Amino acid sequence: MPGRGAVVKQINRLLTLWTGLVLGFFYLPLAVLIGFSFNRSRLNIVWEGFTLDWYAAIWRDPVLVDALVNSLIVAVVTTALSVVLGTGGAWILYRYRFPGARVLQTLAFTPMIIPEVIIGVSLLILFVTVHLELGYATIIISHVTFCFPFAMIAVQARLAGLDPALEESALDLGATPARAFRDVLVPFLAPAIIAGALMSFTLSLDELIVTYFTASASTRTLPLEIFGRIKKGLDPTLNAISTVFIVSTVGLVLAGELLRRRSR
Amino acid sequence: MQRTAILGAIGLLAVAAVSSCTTPARHSPQSLNLFAWSEYVPWSVIDGFTRETGIAVNYETYASNEEMLAKLISGAQRYDLIQPSEYTAEALIKERRLMPIDWSKVPNIRNVGAQYQHLRHDPDQQYTVPWMVGSVGIVVNTAKVADDIKGYADVFREPHKGRIVVINDPREIVSWALATIGKDPNDVTPETLAQIEPLLRRWLPLVKVYDSDSPKTALLNGDVDLGIVWSGEAALLYRENPRFRYILPAEGAHQFIDSLAIPANAANPDAAMAFMNYILRPEVSRLISAEFPYTNPNLEARKLLSAAELANPASYPPGDPRLVTFGDIGPSAVQIDKLVTDLKAAS
Amino acid sequence: MRTTATAFAAPVGPSRPPTPTAWLLIAPLVLWVAVFVVAPTLIMLVYSVSTRGTLGGVVFGFTLENYAALLDRTYLYIIVRSIGFAAITTAICLLAAYPAAYRIGRAAERWRHRLLMLVMIPFWTSFLIRTYAWVTILKNEGPLNGLLVHYGLIGEPLELLYTSGAVVLGLVYTFLPFMILPIYASVEKLDPALVEAALDLGAAPLRAFWKVIVPLTAPGIRAGVLLVFIPALGIYAVNDILGGGRVDMIGNIIENQFKGTARNWPFGSALAVVLILAFALAFWLTSAQEAAEHRGAEEPAVTVP
Repeated sequence: MPGRGAVVKQINRLLTLWTGLVLGFFYLPLAVLIGFSFNRSRLNIVWEGFTLDWYAAIWRDPVLVDALVNSLIVAVVTTALSVVLGTGGAWILYRYRFPGARVLQTLAFTPMIIPEVIIGVSLLILFVTVHLELGYATIIISHVTFCFPFAMIAVQARLAGLDPALEESALDLGATPARAFRDVLVPFLAPAIIAGALMSFTLSLDELIVTYFTASASTRTLPLEIFGRIKKGLDPTLNAISTVFIVSTVGLVLAGELLRRRSR
Repeated sequence: MQRTAILGAIGLLAVAAVSSCTTPARHSPQSLNLFAWSEYVPWSVIDGFTRETGIAVNYETYASNEEMLAKLISGAQRYDLIQPSEYTAEALIKERRLMPIDWSKVPNIRNVGAQYQHLRHDPDQQYTVPWMVGSVGIVVNTAKVADDIKGYADVFREPHKGRIVVINDPREIVSWALATIGKDPNDVTPETLAQIEPLLRRWLPLVKVYDSDSPKTALLNGDVDLGIVWSGEAALLYRENPRFRYILPAEGAHQFIDSLAIPANAANPDAAMAFMNYILRPEVSRLISAEFPYTNPNLEARKLLSAAELANPASYPPGDPRLVTFGDIGPSAVQIDKLVTDLKAAS
Repeated sequence: MRTTATAFAAPVGPSRPPTPTAWLLIAPLVLWVAVFVVAPTLIMLVYSVSTRGTLGGVVFGFTLENYAALLDRTYLYIIVRSIGFAAITTAICLLAAYPAAYRIGRAAERWRHRLLMLVMIPFWTSFLIRTYAWVTILKNEGPLNGLLVHYGLIGEPLELLYTSGAVVLGLVYTFLPFMILPIYASVEKLDPALVEAALDLGAAPLRAFWKVIVPLTAPGIRAGVLLVFIPALGIYAVNDILGGGRVDMIGNIIENQFKGTARNWPFGSALAVVLILAFALAFWLTSAQEAAEHRGAEEPAVTVP
């Protein structure tokens, strides 16, 4: 069917174009951000000339680097825990029928709607009541609490299309439920798990208000640092460190791909 | 994808291990828990203090008095030093939340000008050490605005519609209206609020931007031509371009005084007082002025400032302006918030 | 294969009562929710019926004045406006995300992950810097206006910034990835043969899309709507910056009670409780309906405990 093929091809081309536009939309502020990291003006509002000073300034700013590292640690651990809780939670609610399942699900999703300042204040009170000292643990707990619903929803959506025969056949072939889960279901759920992980990581990395209430002096994160500097003016050092972070991430991913290709 | 993740995680842990060596020490007998406004205490000052006394400083920050209060009253951390604005200090003193200072340990208080002491929030000057003084006034882009702006009434006129930025602080906004009708900004009652409502109803639709975090952005971007902002913002604008003039309104302006104070449950009051005495030294205080061009209450430090710094009209406003500090108004704050929310939604 | 599976109800596979080991799995989730969701919610509930403390905080007691204070024209208007913005944002995100998510989900395997990363990477920079970048782009003297004026499309710079439009733009920008990802996960598992078959059966591509593909990706769509609409209701920072502080939403009102002049924690808590109850109710009702549909489709004669 030559006619149909051509139409489909054209649709595909349009879709690709649209995706490109969407990505362009996403990267527009990033272009400004990166551009301004070379801005001579300290106030980061008008362009005044090219300089690499801000990149040099990063090294003279241990507080900022420390904050970035803290943010990364928190984000990675949060993502890991969120994915585990989210995937596990989605699976449990899918496979098992028990009283209070729907209550559990509603409650698990509630942190998505609770305003951040409320989560922050109430968790702070909770931590004080149980004498849990503020630090990494408290920040991570608060982040996981509102991140794992995202992972759970992504995995649930994927589970909705699960062919029960898939798991049944694995079990029939002699696999234990645990192995069936690991070798059959997890690969099936992988795209949703990855989606959930990406969302959790992103949410945690940029979290400000809840972190304010649950962090201590020695566990400052990057958003706290950046927001603190806004009164003086978001100087381009912040742009520079953001650019460095992006470039390193992309670099890591490329490195990972190279390794994978070589191992094939 | 998996291998990348593992590599990344290992890399992160390595960086974390290295960086944790530089993380500030936890609270110990020889450490100070400082809870202050973000970007208000220069690292040069903190490092200098630690070098001289050996006391490590844990610097935690907040962006508003209310944020500070939230964490303070939760009891999650014991802070040795906080940095309240004057009306917050007044409330804290009333609630017996501050520790009286042993002035024999902070003799440098004599460097602070008499006009900044024994004010209404701390009449016996027992609990606070003035850190920086500032005002809330009018900033005008003289390249765009030709009129002679003298006060609030001149700002909120029809020709300026959509060209005004103000700080997003309901208490401040209400105080400007109160000053305009000749009332004390601390005279906040349902009656006075009713009296200023028509005025605010005319004013607020003229505002383009409410911004407490960085009002200078809109001014520098050229999206607005004039506004009512903190003097520190105005000083930064003036440094950027002298066409931004700072004017203290003729009707009267808010003079705020941020001070250092010691919470009643501080674990290390001696270290706190040592820090207070340290920052009151003229040569240390001038470091603070260099980074934050507010009005320095330390008269000895002012002698060390450059001519350019002293000439910044936002830092050191000339003339004899009418300045009033804010007092604690208690539950009336709720009505202020409601009034401004209502009028904003209506405009 | 189920074509009417939903994301609102817990997708009920061949579900059975939990085995003892299964309870071991369920326990951590229950524990987490109980401690870190239920407990704080209860704290907030207690706060909402208390009175305001002088320094913030609360004075314990019981009063309904905070809830009564919500029945005010201004607050109701703000609530409705928030719902409106959240709804518009969700709709635009859905329309914009679906084609992109579809394209990424059907791309060659090695490209899928790269594209996903490309989608997320801009959001690993600070939200503040990104939003101020938009301020720079949209301002009167900014590049967008500059381009439009340069090419003679407009005579004078447009007032793009500090408007409702700018707020919607910022919201769509913030939430678009959260619509793309779940839809992607749904599209990715589409059997290419199925799509081919739909097209081969003589349906015009649009009909094939509407009648076959969309229903198959419905769980992803519904998940995306949930992940955008709900958080969008609580937004406060985007509208604060891009709307010039003039577009107060529910999130701003609540934030003001804790971080602003009012120091009125009980009132903020009350508004939050109302928000949570509304969400919980809506969620509960929709999941009850979907679950009933499910059980109807699966086991017509089984009674539900």
